Amino acid sequence: MLGILITKELRAIIQSPKFVGSFAICSILILLSVYTGVREYKAAVSQYETATSLVSQELCEATSWAMMDTKSYREPDPMQIFVSGLSNDLGRWSSISSDKGVKLRHSVYSDDPIFAVFRFVDFAFIVMFVLSLIAIQFTYDAVNGERESGTLKLVFANAVPRARYLIAKCIGSWLGLAIPLGIPILLSLLLVIVMGVPLTSDHWIKIVMLIALSLLLFTFFIILGVFVSTVTRRSSVSFLTALLIWVLFVMIIPRAGVMAAGGLVDAPRVAEIESRRDAFAAEKWATMFEEMSSLDWDSGKVTADQQWDSIETAVRQEVDQYEARLLEDLRQKKINQQQVAWGLSRLSPASAYQLAAMTLAETDTEAKRRNEDAMATYRNQFNEYANAKQAEAGDTPGIMISVMMDSDGTSSLKVDADRDNAGLDVSDVPRFSPPHIGLAEAIAPMILDFGLIGFYILLAFSGAFVAFVRYDVR
Amino acid sequence: MNTPLNTKQPPLEAIGLTKRYEDGVLALDNVSFAIEAGQLFAILGGNGAGKTTTINLFLNLLEPTQGEARVCGIPSHKQPLLAKEKVAFVSENVTLYPNFTALQNLDFFARLGNKTDYTADDYHRVLDRVGLEREFHRGKLRDFSKGMRQKCGIAIAILKDAPAILLDEPTAGLDPKAGRDFMKLLEELRSEGKAILMSTHDIFRAREVADVVAIMDKGRMIMQTKAADLAGRDLEAIYMQYMAGHNGDASPSETSYV
Repeated sequence: MLGILITKELRAIIQSPKFVGSFAICSILILLSVYTGVREYKAAVSQYETATSLVSQELCEATSWAMMDTKSYREPDPMQIFVSGLSNDLGRWSSISSDKGVKLRHSVYSDDPIFAVFRFVDFAFIVMFVLSLIAIQFTYDAVNGERESGTLKLVFANAVPRARYLIAKCIGSWLGLAIPLGIPILLSLLLVIVMGVPLTSDHWIKIVMLIALSLLLFTFFIILGVFVSTVTRRSSVSFLTALLIWVLFVMIIPRAGVMAAGGLVDAPRVAEIESRRDAFAAEKWATMFEEMSSLDWDSGKVTADQQWDSIETAVRQEVDQYEARLLEDLRQKKINQQQVAWGLSRLSPASAYQLAAMTLAETDTEAKRRNEDAMATYRNQFNEYANAKQAEAGDTPGIMISVMMDSDGTSSLKVDADRDNAGLDVSDVPRFSPPHIGLAEAIAPMILDFGLIGFYILLAFSGAFVAFVRYDVR
Repeated sequence: MNTPLNTKQPPLEAIGLTKRYEDGVLALDNVSFAIEAGQLFAILGGNGAGKTTTINLFLNLLEPTQGEARVCGIPSHKQPLLAKEKVAFVSENVTLYPNFTALQNLDFFARLGNKTDYTADDYHRVLDRVGLEREFHRGKLRDFSKGMRQKCGIAIAILKDAPAILLDEPTAGLDPKAGRDFMKLLEELRSEGKAILMSTHDIFRAREVADVVAIMDKGRMIMQTKAADLAGRDLEAIYMQYMAGHNGDASPSETSYV
């Protein structure tokens, strides 16, 4: 009996005129998004490789250990082809120097704001916005549509248990929509291979998990459509109801959750932190200059260099510590704010999906922290290395000061010592290793979202079941 | 626990069948009748008389407030699945699945009625029997006229091969020829021993084919008589008189439970 009902559902979907259109749209969108994603990824890899080799070259050309600085670049990941997440919002690099903190700058969107207007259409976007809508489009009249056409009465004139009918509706709709969607998904994976994207076994596992997660969200919207069709009598009403719920889940709740968290948990903005840090530093430097000017330079007990070095180091440490405290405070507040935001947003399965997909692809909010932490660690290693090398080499003769202006208007001061224009031996300089989280570490945070979407599916099915048991099929 | 089929029981039987809706409307008031195998029972009545409610109670699409609708002795509200195995149904407006062909619709409903051993030839044969031309057997239902859909509906009922058949105004909207063809089919089914309950507005067709004619009004069965007893009498006049609240020519003996 179940098989007969499922087969009928499958046939009804596949023979429906809207199926061909929906299938064609999904196939084209998925393939195009993956193709564009691969091209973007390859461009990012090329840019990354050029930039890192340039950094190596600059290091080789450095002439002073004391004033040596470098840049660290965020490494592109093939998973961003499927889930671009925040990868285009996060800066691509940070300068690594003793006088500046780590901060990712120059994101794709800041460099090319035109892409930020409508953002990229990736696989996760298609699942969240397009496939979910298609799932609802095919199921919003699953039950009430049959009632309106009279076939429901005809079906229940036979010995058909209601539970079995409802299960067949869900399974049949799922198979009728998910299996055909498997074709463009498989083709897109083939495209990724053909276009030569290097994928490790971890990437493949992540891709499989992403597809499983996408199917879970798809299942939710299928069952949601069935649920809506069991609680309404007319298909026109269920269409509007389903559409409204879709808008709420996909567009309103995710944004409202973040906005509400912003109001509920107060956290200072980064600019505020920076201005407090600058004010503190300015005050400390002013004090330092006062102390310097009050020193008795003629006594001969200390040299000016010695005084400068010790006081400057102390001030820098103090400013760094102050900044670290501010950043730590900010980070804690941001973590709290984010927890509240994600907690509220997860009321929508679409949000849970997006958060899980971004976590899996490592293009989530943690990517910024992960990269900046790794760069901060590298900055310490780099500075220690430079300091040690400087101590070995002794003081530098002349100093060259140059003021530089970045394309984004950020000015920086570069101090270099031209020691006979001879290059330094930087063969053992520490190299930046981009952070990578293990597979288990990437998957663990998703389990909550997997479970949540599963729970929402159960909830929608239970609602549909309760409503359908009492449904007047006439 | 399944009730064994009692062959001595009439295939369709209403015993004190009463239905009061939640809003208090009394749709069916203590209606009783029995339809034997090989008997066609026609219920006449205006809109809201309770004809469709009676059929819905046999199909367990509604729960009776009182009384029982029995199919082959099985109370449909107590053992609905078992009762539904014994009854076929044709609705007033057969729509079926518009994107399926006639054969696909037949196949689905036959399988739903536990008839899994039919072949395509069987489907063609039954469609031939109901008068659907061969060229339409593989046609999609969305392109069919009402008459053609009605033929598919009766074909589905024939394939189910149930001892009882419920017809809810099956000739409504059919052209005279299609209506006549349909009635011929009913006569054939009756001769095969099926018990047929047909609700209709069509007094003439009812008189033509029915073995028993009943008139319902406001949920009550106000007349029930053998068609043979109507010989030489004007059923339309009797119907109109009953609907106007007069007993007319029908004597108490004629309206008694058959």
